[in-house]
Amino acid sequence: MDRPEMIRTARGKRPQFYDTPGLDEAMGMIMVLASEISTLRDRIDAGERVARAAGIDLAAGIEALELDEAALAEREERRQDFLRRLYYLQIKDAEDARERQTAKGYVDTIAEIAQT
Amino acid sequence: MLNTFQQADHPVLPKATADEAARQEFAKSLKGFIQSTLLPGLDPVYRTRARPRFENETGRSANDRRDIRDAMVGDTYFQHYAATNRIAQELLWESVAGSVSRQLPELIETARTLSARSPARLDIPDGFVPPRYVTALDIHCMPGGYCSEVCEDDISVGALYDRGVYLYSMGYTGPNNDDMGRSVCNYIRRNFPDFRPRRILDMGCTVGHSTVPYAEMFPDAEIWGIDLGGPCVRYAHARSAGMGHPINFAQMNAEETSFPDGHFDLVVSHILLHETSGKAMPRIFAEAHRVLAPEGLMIHADLPPFDLMDPFTQFILDNETWYNNEPFWGAMRDMDQIALAERAGFDRASVRFDTAPMAVMEFAGAQKGYSEDAAGSVADREFTAGEFAPGGGWEVLIARKGAAKALAA
Repeated sequence: MDRPEMIRTARGKRPQFYDTPGLDEAMGMIMVLASEISTLRDRIDAGERVARAAGIDLAAGIEALELDEAALAEREERRQDFLRRLYYLQIKDAEDARERQTAKGYVDTIAEIAQT
Repeated sequence: MLNTFQQADHPVLPKATADEAARQEFAKSLKGFIQSTLLPGLDPVYRTRARPRFENETGRSANDRRDIRDAMVGDTYFQHYAATNRIAQELLWESVAGSVSRQLPELIETARTLSARSPARLDIPDGFVPPRYVTALDIHCMPGGYCSEVCEDDISVGALYDRGVYLYSMGYTGPNNDDMGRSVCNYIRRNFPDFRPRRILDMGCTVGHSTVPYAEMFPDAEIWGIDLGGPCVRYAHARSAGMGHPINFAQMNAEETSFPDGHFDLVVSHILLHETSGKAMPRIFAEAHRVLAPEGLMIHADLPPFDLMDPFTQFILDNETWYNNEPFWGAMRDMDQIALAERAGFDRASVRFDTAPMAVMEFAGAQKGYSEDAAGSVADREFTAGEFAPGGGWEVLIARKGAAKALAA
């Protein structure tokens, strides 16, 4: 049986913050990259600490490493997953369009829900 | 003060790999950075360039939060602030959703096992239809909202909420996300020392974060948590059992519960009202009045009304309405909650707003990351619009139902 897929975007038209077309998407991508750089830095830090505690010269081992087929596949899968997160706004944009979520629909919902 | 707060584990909490944990920490750090470093820039930007520009263009001064918003939306600094805030919210949910998704079948199995062993009830009626105010938009941009189910016995959005809200609140609500419930419990202990509720109802409990402290404080009481989200109450039931406080949960609408008249001595809610609607809120107050026994207490811990704040503060808070899928956030703060309580049947003299101080200091030194200094720096803040959690404490609306004799008269 397939494993269940979680919903990954929030229903509701996403607001735009910048006047320049494309800048909102670019900003999102930059921040995802920032998150990933931070994540990598944490991982490198963890690796160095673990290795040091075990008395292993990690740097030399990294330089000498040969990637086998399984390692290549694992890395490619990770990169594709990374790119899906990097392009999350474009994916969300298409989903809004598909579900006909509009800025006007959002404003109408606020008015409708506030009605007493 | 560096925020090193860490969430406490429990059996059904999703576990993070090292990379997932690092992504989640980044989202939490980014939120902290926005509040500590970008937020304070809004005031000078408004005073020195946005307001003068507005006055030049319109020939009048900015009078209310709508004028201030008009003045600010074109300013690049505000655009970066608001965009980054939104992106932080999206990164936060994504960092958790990926982690929950990876382990969902295993989490569901854990929840099933814990729930099956729990002596407490879990009622999920067939064919329950949640109201539009929680399904029209995914509130606070949480993918799937409270009610979506992607498989049988799904708990995914419950797990997403549990971990996501910890990051959203940056740990300010304690290692178990329960500061609001804990603060209201402390408030009750201080202000109503002889109050011993036999039955307690927590309306809009989501995953039971605030419900559990009531079980700790009133171990002999029958406690019910109700919520519109099936996956939320499923998760709540398993979570509370896993934490050693089995509590009854039900998927139920707080506007119209199935409990008999006068069943509860205490009806509470925590950050519920601002996620309802103009039509639902009066019905929730009326329902609380109906299910309360004579002299029972209703306490709603939520957001203070706008009339207590200056327009610039209102403007900053109202960004949630426009940018974080919180359609009722602003309108709720414009409602006269005291009049609503009175119309629901509470005696005007018994209704008031008060402040329940944060309980976060209780965790100081006792939980990972909660040093005396770090916890103290959260508890001792002044109120600052746009920061998570008001410094000083939570706003509570309190009302007491009349005595039986008065009702009969």
